[in-house]
Amino acid sequence: MSDSKAIRSVTITNPTGVHLRAATLIAGVVRGFDAEVVLKKGFEDAKGTDVLQIASLVAELGDQVSLEARGSDAERVLDALEQLFAENFAENRENTEEAKS
Amino acid sequence: MKKLQGIAVSPGVVIGETLVMDNEGFRIPQRFVARDAIDGEVDRLDKAIAAAGQEIAANRDAVSKELGEKYGAIFEAHLQMLRDARLHSELEEMIRERHYSPEYAVSRTLRRYAQVFQRLESSYLAERVSDIFDIEKRLLRHLLGHQREELSHLTSPVLVLAHNLTPSETANLNRKFVRGFVTEVGGPGSHTAIVAEALEIPAVVGTGPFLAEVSGGDQVIIDGDNGLVVLRPDEETLARYQHEVEEIRTLAARLEPLRDLPTETRDGVRLRLLGNIEFPYEVDHCIDRGADGVGLYRTEFLYLGSKTEPTEEIHYQAYSQVVRTMGERPVTIRTFDLGADKVPHLRSPEEERNPFLGLRSIRLALRNLPMFRTQLRAILRASSLGNVQIMFPLVSTLLELRQAKMVLADVMEDLQEHGIEFQRDVPIGMMVEVPAAVMMIDDFVEEVAFVSIGTNDLVQYTLAVDRSNRDVVGLYNPADPAVLKLIQKTIDAANRKSIPVNLCGQMSGSPVYTMLLLGLGLRQFSVSPSAMPEIKNICRRVTIDECNAVANRVMAMENARDIKSYLGGEFKKRVPEVRVDSG
Repeated sequence: MSDSKAIRSVTITNPTGVHLRAATLIAGVVRGFDAEVVLKKGFEDAKGTDVLQIASLVAELGDQVSLEARGSDAERVLDALEQLFAENFAENRENTEEAKS
Repeated sequence: MKKLQGIAVSPGVVIGETLVMDNEGFRIPQRFVARDAIDGEVDRLDKAIAAAGQEIAANRDAVSKELGEKYGAIFEAHLQMLRDARLHSELEEMIRERHYSPEYAVSRTLRRYAQVFQRLESSYLAERVSDIFDIEKRLLRHLLGHQREELSHLTSPVLVLAHNLTPSETANLNRKFVRGFVTEVGGPGSHTAIVAEALEIPAVVGTGPFLAEVSGGDQVIIDGDNGLVVLRPDEETLARYQHEVEEIRTLAARLEPLRDLPTETRDGVRLRLLGNIEFPYEVDHCIDRGADGVGLYRTEFLYLGSKTEPTEEIHYQAYSQVVRTMGERPVTIRTFDLGADKVPHLRSPEEERNPFLGLRSIRLALRNLPMFRTQLRAILRASSLGNVQIMFPLVSTLLELRQAKMVLADVMEDLQEHGIEFQRDVPIGMMVEVPAAVMMIDDFVEEVAFVSIGTNDLVQYTLAVDRSNRDVVGLYNPADPAVLKLIQKTIDAANRKSIPVNLCGQMSGSPVYTMLLLGLGLRQFSVSPSAMPEIKNICRRVTIDECNAVANRVMAMENARDIKSYLGGEFKKRVPEVRVDSG
């Protein structure tokens, strides 16, 4: 079903928030699925493939972000995103600061 | 509209388009595009985005291959930002709906994003800001292509907005088209302040960060009288300032005829009105205003902006130009007055916790004798061309003065041996700007030919206030009774000994203080050339008796605020057509 919808809420747990690289990872995940994703924080929203918009949400440690997906992969894309947030954008495995420098 | 409060360092009001300087010196040449050019401009934007994208992708691949995938990640992020769909539609809308040029649209939009990030205080978010600027620069580079002009090729008037201006940057600016400066950092003694004063254009420094909020081409008002900067003013503010600009112009026109009249009081006491200059070309401004001489020729510019120590010949060329132009009129050359940190060719000093109390000025000169001697030789050689006086800055003790005089005597002997011409009896004087020198002034006047009170430093050292520190600059006040007593003591000592006493700080150029200073017995004022007409104007409207009465009254007052408001009132009575600025 191409019009299936899903909504979930995640809390930001990594200390540096949804920084630019995290936004890139989010967009990368979203592109791999057949679904449109919108991230919402407060009154602001960002398309799941628009890196600059995601970063502009300025989601910081402790903030709540809602993830809304529409499309045949709606549930699966949110599963993958939830995992990405839960892993703190893989910051435990790689040193982000180093990657940015 | 947005207002910024900074430190006023050069007076005047100017309204104009901005030139935002960053480390690559980009400028946005045009703000609007014609209606029939819109499709072409959108196309140009798309091509620039595509080209920038290819460039970033190539960087990403190269870096990933060389250093590993994770190092390429930041370029991947840039690439994705550049391909952000909403960004693209925003840019296109600005061009189509508002007729912005692609350059202006890119700068406006990306700076708005930067602002979102910059509002956050954490450091990793600040890093995002530099990512945004990086993309902005890349896009602008593609948009402007080879048309990118150098700052020296300006063709229309601009107000220069920068984080900080270095001597090499200001050296490259085309003076004809620069109408004002704003810098995020810096204080009254900063290079920007000095250059602005020399160019006689309004300047505000130390505003704190704001460059992310402004794009090249934005309209800005610089109020150099009150240290205010207004970004993208609303119509009401604009109208108010336009009116003010007009008033300033009218006043300047009204003061113009004073040029050829002598500086004297209404009761006929002749005064000397001298100019403060930094750059040799300013001597023309002095001549234009009918100056009686140069009361303070700062020589720091010779040391700044060059990696090597200036040669004797470089010194001599600069001095001789000024001395020749002034002819019979005196030119007081102040020797080297900088901290070691400002002089590129000197060994970096130990970390100074209090640079104003550190190794600077005459102290530094006496520790670097070859450098000091080079300057003195050049000054002495120039002394044979006209009427030169030598002045030592920041003298704190008699010993220091004697040491400096000994070095000078030694240089004279050397010149004599080589048969080089100079003025043997060149007057030697000192700046009085350290409270210790005031306390010992009765001894100092026995050993110098003249003194010059430097109020900028005297106020700072007396009141223990750094005037480049925004948190305490409000405590910096030349009208403080403690400062006035030191000034009085200095003037009295010099007058008793019948040696000339001059005052060359900013206080001297502020007409509100003129009556007080005349009443304290001052007969020489050294001011920036732009302040001359106003000072001459007030001098010609008062009598010495009136001034004495004002001074008596002031010296009995006990706080700066009362003194300031009383002086403001007295000034207003004599010169009702001029508004009294709050500075």
